[in-house]
Amino acid sequence: MNIPRIIISLCLACILVLSFATKAIAFCGFYVGGADAKIFNKASQVVIARNGDRTILTMANDFQGAIKDFAMVIPVPVAIKREQVHIGKRTTIEKVDAFSQPRLVEYFDPDPCETPRLNESAINYNNVPSSAPSGTLRRRISTQDLGVTVEDNFKVNEYEIVILSAKQSDGLETWLQQNGYNIPKGASELLSPYIKQNLKFFVAKIDVKEFNKSGYQVLRPIQIAFESPKFMLPIRLGTINARGEQDLVIYVLSPKGQVELTNYRTVKVPTGTEIPEYIKSEFGAFYQATFQKVYEREQKKVAFLEYAWNVSNCDPCSSAPPTAAELKEAGVFWEDNGEIIPSNSRRRSISQGNTFITRLHVRYTRDKFPEDLLFQETGNRENFQGRYVMNHPFKGNLSCEAGKKYQQTLRPRLEQEASNLANLTGWSIRDIYSKIDFPTVQSQPDGNNPFWRNVWSDK
Amino acid sequence: MFADPRDYQIVFLASFLGLGIMTRDWSIRPELVFSLMLSCCLTQLVLGSLVKSTENIWLTLKSALITSLGLSLLLRADRVSTMILAGCLAIASKFIFTVDRKHWFNPANFGIVAALLLTPDAWVSPGQWGSDWWYLLLFIGMGGVVLQRVGRWDTSVAFLGSYAGLEIARNIWLGLPPDVCIHKLMSGSLLLFALFMITDPRSIPNARSTRIIWSIAIAILAFILRNYFYINEAIFIALFAISPLTIALDKFWTAPQFTWHSFDRTKTT
Repeated sequence: MNIPRIIISLCLACILVLSFATKAIAFCGFYVGGADAKIFNKASQVVIARNGDRTILTMANDFQGAIKDFAMVIPVPVAIKREQVHIGKRTTIEKVDAFSQPRLVEYFDPDPCETPRLNESAINYNNVPSSAPSGTLRRRISTQDLGVTVEDNFKVNEYEIVILSAKQSDGLETWLQQNGYNIPKGASELLSPYIKQNLKFFVAKIDVKEFNKSGYQVLRPIQIAFESPKFMLPIRLGTINARGEQDLVIYVLSPKGQVELTNYRTVKVPTGTEIPEYIKSEFGAFYQATFQKVYEREQKKVAFLEYAWNVSNCDPCSSAPPTAAELKEAGVFWEDNGEIIPSNSRRRSISQGNTFITRLHVRYTRDKFPEDLLFQETGNRENFQGRYVMNHPFKGNLSCEAGKKYQQTLRPRLEQEASNLANLTGWSIRDIYSKIDFPTVQSQPDGNNPFWRNVWSDK
Repeated sequence: MFADPRDYQIVFLASFLGLGIMTRDWSIRPELVFSLMLSCCLTQLVLGSLVKSTENIWLTLKSALITSLGLSLLLRADRVSTMILAGCLAIASKFIFTVDRKHWFNPANFGIVAALLLTPDAWVSPGQWGSDWWYLLLFIGMGGVVLQRVGRWDTSVAFLGSYAGLEIARNIWLGLPPDVCIHKLMSGSLLLFALFMITDPRSIPNARSTRIIWSIAIAILAFILRNYFYINEAIFIALFAISPLTIALDKFWTAPQFTWHSFDRTKTT
């Protein structure tokens, strides 16, 4: 009596398992260009190097206003001392960004009239950078006691840093205002939960004299090291000005595997799609549109995984993997000093392979991301990259029989690529078609070529 | 439709798994699900024959399948060996930690905690269900059917009620807007746990009053572990820690023990 039923149940389970769509993607081809964090307006970048409870947090300051107006307030889980703060290099974050950005790879169709041979080429291009201010600083008045304790107060190069703890958010808001941090109204409401959870406040501004003396043109990233079981990023303060959608790119370096959010879904960006060759010249715009489409599809409430890989290698590489020294600069404290193995091939590697990088892209607003971001490290060592494929049609002489056949198969392929592009970006298929260089196909007596092609050449 | 509630559970859990795989970005691979199913069923067969169990072999296999589906839904791992370990230990726990036909631990929960503690690559993904209302309704609707069939809905209500109460109280104390708390409670994993894991009649107290105390104790421990020790797997650890109390609670409060056989008899008559 029970046997058929249990067999049905087992079958159901088996069908379920078989319904997994696993795509085998061969990661070869050549890196052409990427979509770095700069193409997104207002993109903040954070590198988190974490092993166990130990964290080194690197925050990029893409502040574009007058340097004297710069200020930042970050809730931190523990009080930070002078020796726990370091001023990093801007190139460090640029390096991590370049290594992990979504990428375009290209292939060249071989001459169908000859023995097949793969040709590859690489072209670099630049994107338009832009960013936004994160706060302003107006005036300085002497400190008053408002239930606010200055835990520490020190200078690190061009930064003046104050570590605060507070008993009441009103007092903290007043203290910040009296000390020249022009924080917006409503801040105390957002500060209050952090105070009650016993978090401290890391407050930084710029010593303009020191900055001018340093000769740097832009602000360097601040790095802080601390030990805490809390693996989180406070984003609620970032919504204080209600500036609409904000982009945050988080690079997490950890020894074990992928990092994911525990209180929001982490979704992979589309990858592996074949797109028309003209995208090569507008890859930045393409990736922005693709991201926007998938962001809307997921109802604007998930985090996106753009890259997950062991940092010791990559395929294809958007830039050479970070060296042991570069990883150290980015906060990786668990790697022994490894040496670079010089290599001219596409696969480069460094001797130590104990670091995994996860690149998460969060576009958040107050209503869709009410909670701060909570993370966890997982044992998932699966590689992932946002990767888009471009195939260049063969442009030479196609007079041979194989060449004619190739030409016939080319048009459907280009149409498919156009349709892929329209699906990914939401761009009009008409516009896409107008940019594709479709081959003119000779009419064929055999049935493969639809008869209407001879009459309506635009189809 | 089905006389045996285990059939409902298999269908529901299998559909959740299918739904999750098809609509969510789950890092679960077919070989991992297969290894869980195989290890659970084989361990059941081997240990069942070793202890010369009198239970119907097909019925025990059904239970093993439910355990493997529960594990597939909640546990994630990078290696097949981790899943095999989780599956084997989950079923073995039923044979090792048992008193008067009652289990000290929920088998799937035992498997999850064992994998988390003993292997470096196991994890649970509390965020991967997302917080869509649609799932909430689906879970509650389907869970309700199963619970009504099994007759242990009170543990779910007591657990969810007290856990939500504690989270809401904390939210008010912190001065956070209500949507923060709603977002926190709208977790698919939490509901799955409350509706399918802490309702297993073979590993929860027999008397209603003790079941409610037991559920509230799990909720309090899970709340503390989550919010003050920042443990992502708080609910599973809390159930694991409090589960053995079932045996003690049953000794003090006696009530008719649940048996799957009442359903089997209905079916055969």
